Amino acid sequence: MSRYRILSHTADTGIVAVGATLEEVFENAAFGMFDLMFDLSLVPPEEECHVEVEGDDPAELLVAWLSALLTEADIRGLAFCRFRLEGLRSCCLSGGAAGSAAARLILRGPPIKAVTYHGLAVEETPEGWAARVIFDV
Amino acid sequence: MDFRRIGEVTWELAPEGGMRVPGRVFASASLFAKAEADQALRQVANVAHLPGIVEASFAMPDIHWGYGFPIGGVAATDVAAGGVVSPGGVGFDICCGVRLLASALREEDFRRRRVDIMGELDARIPRGLGKGAVAAKRLLDEVLERGAAAAVEAGFGVPHDLERCEERGTSAGADPGAVSARARERGSGQLGSLGAGNHFLEVQVVDRVEDPGAAEAFGLAPGMVTVMIHCGSRGLGHQVCTDYLADMGRAMNRHGISVPDRQLACVPVLSKEGEAYLGAMAAAANFAWANRHVLAHATREAVAAALGTSPAKTGMELVFDVAHNLAKVEEHRVGRYSRRLCVHRKGATRAFGPGHPALPPGLRDWGQPVLIPGSMGTASWVLRGLAGNPAFATAAHGAGRVMSRSAAKKTRGGREVMHDLEAEGITVRPGSVSLLAEEAPFAYKDVDAVVDVCARAGLAAPVARLRPIGVVKG
Repeated sequence: MSRYRILSHTADTGIVAVGATLEEVFENAAFGMFDLMFDLSLVPPEEECHVEVEGDDPAELLVAWLSALLTEADIRGLAFCRFRLEGLRSCCLSGGAAGSAAARLILRGPPIKAVTYHGLAVEETPEGWAARVIFDV
Repeated sequence: MDFRRIGEVTWELAPEGGMRVPGRVFASASLFAKAEADQALRQVANVAHLPGIVEASFAMPDIHWGYGFPIGGVAATDVAAGGVVSPGGVGFDICCGVRLLASALREEDFRRRRVDIMGELDARIPRGLGKGAVAAKRLLDEVLERGAAAAVEAGFGVPHDLERCEERGTSAGADPGAVSARARERGSGQLGSLGAGNHFLEVQVVDRVEDPGAAEAFGLAPGMVTVMIHCGSRGLGHQVCTDYLADMGRAMNRHGISVPDRQLACVPVLSKEGEAYLGAMAAAANFAWANRHVLAHATREAVAAALGTSPAKTGMELVFDVAHNLAKVEEHRVGRYSRRLCVHRKGATRAFGPGHPALPPGLRDWGQPVLIPGSMGTASWVLRGLAGNPAFATAAHGAGRVMSRSAAKKTRGGREVMHDLEAEGITVRPGSVSLLAEEAPFAYKDVDAVVDVCARAGLAAPVARLRPIGVVKG
């Protein structure tokens, strides 16, 4: 099963990420976000980062997690390809990502500026979990 | 949704549910039908829920589905009556906007030196991700405080450029202390960079003048080569919006505010959180004014290098610089009284009419230049603001997308789009060929139709039409 599918949006872009667990859907949403910009099969996991974020519910936590990864990637000039959630609680999470320099990669989609709350959803499904998120590009 | 046509190009939704004012859209029948195709009209209704909103939740003729606000959305809230500021009404790319440079070149001059000019622009305009920037990191503090004025002092451009910038290139009330360390880190290496997506630098030629008096006052003439730059506040602005949106969810609860879309999170302008956001937003806007200013400087140097002359001899005078993602406190008449309003323009351009005191003396008789970029391969327009504008002195900001990015890619590949443009005499220097497909002309509405509605609705009057001849994209 694919980790995510692309949502159609007139101006921006979005994904529905899926996973067997809430942790997995968070990791797959992060994968989907960077996979929209780069062909992640070409990105080696050379540099790592660690993030810790807070949020009042799973949806807020998802935005905080994805936003923190975008910020790290922008500041360090990286494209992330691997994601690992270490601790997910109702109020906060910690996790890591690994990737390599973005400047030497070809963009296959527009750079994602930010993660929006518009149409945001994190839901349990018969197959596991699904997260819907729209990005500003 | 029950929008009724109340004028030739005006559609209105009466308040329903929690809407505090009507929704009002300026569009022809065909543009309105395009807006009906997605969630843009629902977003017009959602914006009408904002506390303190006055008159209507407006949408410009280039309206399309955004996040929270529609792109092309305009909302003014009454500051003294508990009116709110909503970061979603500004967007992540704070003070994204457009700058237009005139030149002493004619189209035939460009055609003769096309390869040299496009080559220099290609080499000197940083774009894409992680590709560096024109200006040094040490300028950041000054730029957050004073915008384009700080860039001029650092040797970019010339002082009289500032006359031709909205707000003179400096947003008042900037509070660099309200900008997070992470936002500063994101912005520090990006001052003087274009980004990617729908941002561009375009070489154009004035192919039609509709209003010769205004065109002359703006510094435009038929056959003149111009350069248009479209970009914003880069990662710094994106981070400011991200930071404040995260905080505003909780702040909204403290103020007892609820909105139909979390992306519309808002707080009263006259609150600790509202003032902090507006201070940070103005600092990010200053980054954007300076960013376009630095890129314009690099453009002048690139053209001069290609022609073997000095930047001053290129005749590249600034026509104007406008923002189209910003919230500003302005005085406007509401009913019989003048009120201080927080005017949100999300994908919409300020368009002050003739005589407005904010305009520089040389433009005051004509109204503010309004810059409406098309897409690659289609025209862009210069308009002028009009007295009696029905939407708090606001006009459209672009052609407006009509096709999703994935649908555009399926319609035609990046290399095909590049060939199409070259066949039309438009030289393209893309950072990524693949991205060209997403920004292809067929993904956008007809910009001429958008401008026509602006004119018929009294939003702004056409001055000159610009045809693209060269495109630099991320």
